[in-house]
Parts: sequence; structure tokens; C-alpha cells
Amino acid sequence: MARLNDDAQWIVLMGFLVSFSFFFLALVINQATVVGQTTAESVIEFPKNDIRDVRHVIGESVRIPYPENVTVYNDITLLSMNRKSAVVDYRNFTLDNTTYIQIHYNNEVTEYNEYNWTP
Amino acid sequence: MVSGDGGQLYTIEGFAAALIMIITAYLVVNATSVYTAGDTHINDMQLEALGTDALKMMDTPVSSDVPSPLAEIITYTPVGNMNATFKTMFMNYTNVSGAGPIHDIQFNATYICRKDPENSITIYPLASSRNLTGGEHTVRATKWVIVDKAVCEDSEKPRAVLVEVLLWRD
Repeated sequence: MARLNDDAQWIVLMGFLVSFSFFFLALVINQATVVGQTTAESVIEFPKNDIRDVRHVIGESVRIPYPENVTVYNDITLLSMNRKSAVVDYRNFTLDNTTYIQIHYNNEVTEYNEYNWTP
Repeated sequence: MVSGDGGQLYTIEGFAAALIMIITAYLVVNATSVYTAGDTHINDMQLEALGTDALKMMDTPVSSDVPSPLAEIITYTPVGNMNATFKTMFMNYTNVSGAGPIHDIQFNATYICRKDPENSITIYPLASSRNLTGGEHTVRATKWVIVDKAVCEDSEKPRAVLVEVLLWRD
């Protein structure tokens, strides 16, 4: 084999390094679309305001006395199912001067359960 | 062996470099843009948050012994009538009217009742800034309200109703 001029091996090496770094940068940019979309979708799907609102109205309804609170309970569960596509259920009972409350919320994507009490 | 075959290594290297550059160019072109498809929904989320906040402010009573403005509006609006107070308050809170920067937001508000024995749903109009034609890109903001009067054309009270507002930008 003829003698190879191998004086500039480090230039070749640097060339490889640079091209490989470009390659991996391109890979990262390529994946950015997918990552951004998934994040935005999960943010949109999370029903933060719905859960806050239903907690608030359930907290209010606990103060309503017995026969009337059944109507309000039926309103909340049926309208949640029909207009918000969410299964909402709750119950409250008083034990030793403490009111316990259980809240369940499920819209098939997000599930929220709460067990709480007020004096 | 013929002399002059010393460039074989350089040829292989050239092929390798060309391959890497072509694949890199393909990946970059394939990535379309960094402004992701999900970003377009941020506008919708902002509009929805604005509507939810406005409804929340309207459901906040001025003191603990009076009902909230939103509950009063639902209580005292006869069925089938539009409520001017709702329109004024909501447009003020969403900066459609009033002092300051003006938004070009339109809305359509309704409240939804459950009919008591038959468990059916009835939708009552509440206020609207413009008629919906169906072509608008709307978002929905909702608020639960408990009203201490017999609304929903039933005799039962109190009732929980769901206020729904469709919002869109012109």
C-alpha cells in the first residue's frame, strides 16, 4: 500500500465530532413537536376548574338540611353527567359534632377522590 | 498491486460524512417547526380561564348574608327572558366594556336545570352579546350555583343549576 499521509487525523476526528453533534441536535429538534403536543394536551385535559367548582358547590350543599339536600344532590350528579361528562358522587354524615364529607369525581381521564371533615 | 490506491480510507470517510449530513438534513426538514401543534390551544385555555374567572367573581357575594349576584340573576330572571345585569357584569369582568384595554370577546350564556321527577335537562337562556351562528370557535366556561328559590319551573327549593357560557373571539 502506498504511504498514506496521516498528518491531519485530528481534523478528521473533529469533523466527525461536529457532524455527530449536529446529528443529535437534529434528533432533539425532531422530537420537540411530539413532546410539546403531549404536554399541551395533558394540560388541556386536566379539569382543574371543574373539580374546584364541584368541590365548592358540594361544600355549600352540605349546609342544606335533610329533605332539600336530596334534590340538590340529584341536580349535581345528573347535570355533571349530562353537561360535563363526569361522574360525580358525594355523601356527608355527622359524627361526634364533626361533619365528614366524601367527594368522588371521574371524567374518564381524571379521577379525583377526597375525604374531608369540618368541625 | 497498482500504486495510487491510497485514497480508499478517504473515500470511506467521505461516504460516512455524506451519510451523516443527509440524515441530519432529513431530520431537520422533517421537524417542520418548533412552534408545536399544541401551542395553538393556549389561546383557548386563556379564554376559558378568563370566562371561568369572570363567572367566579359574579358568584362571589358582597357579604355572607346575601346571595351572590349570579344567584340573584338566575332567581329573578323570568323564564325565557334575557338578563341585562348579567350582560353588563360579564362584559365588564372580561374587559369587553369599561375602562382599559378592550377585548373583542363575544359570549352566549345559559343555565341548565334538572326537571325534578322526570330527571330531564332543560336549558334556559340567560344573556348573550351576539347570536351564535355555529361557525364560531367557542370555548365553554361553567359554574355551579345553588339558588334558594324555586327556579327551573319546579316547586322544589333550593336547587343547584349549572351556568354555561360559550365564549369566542371575533
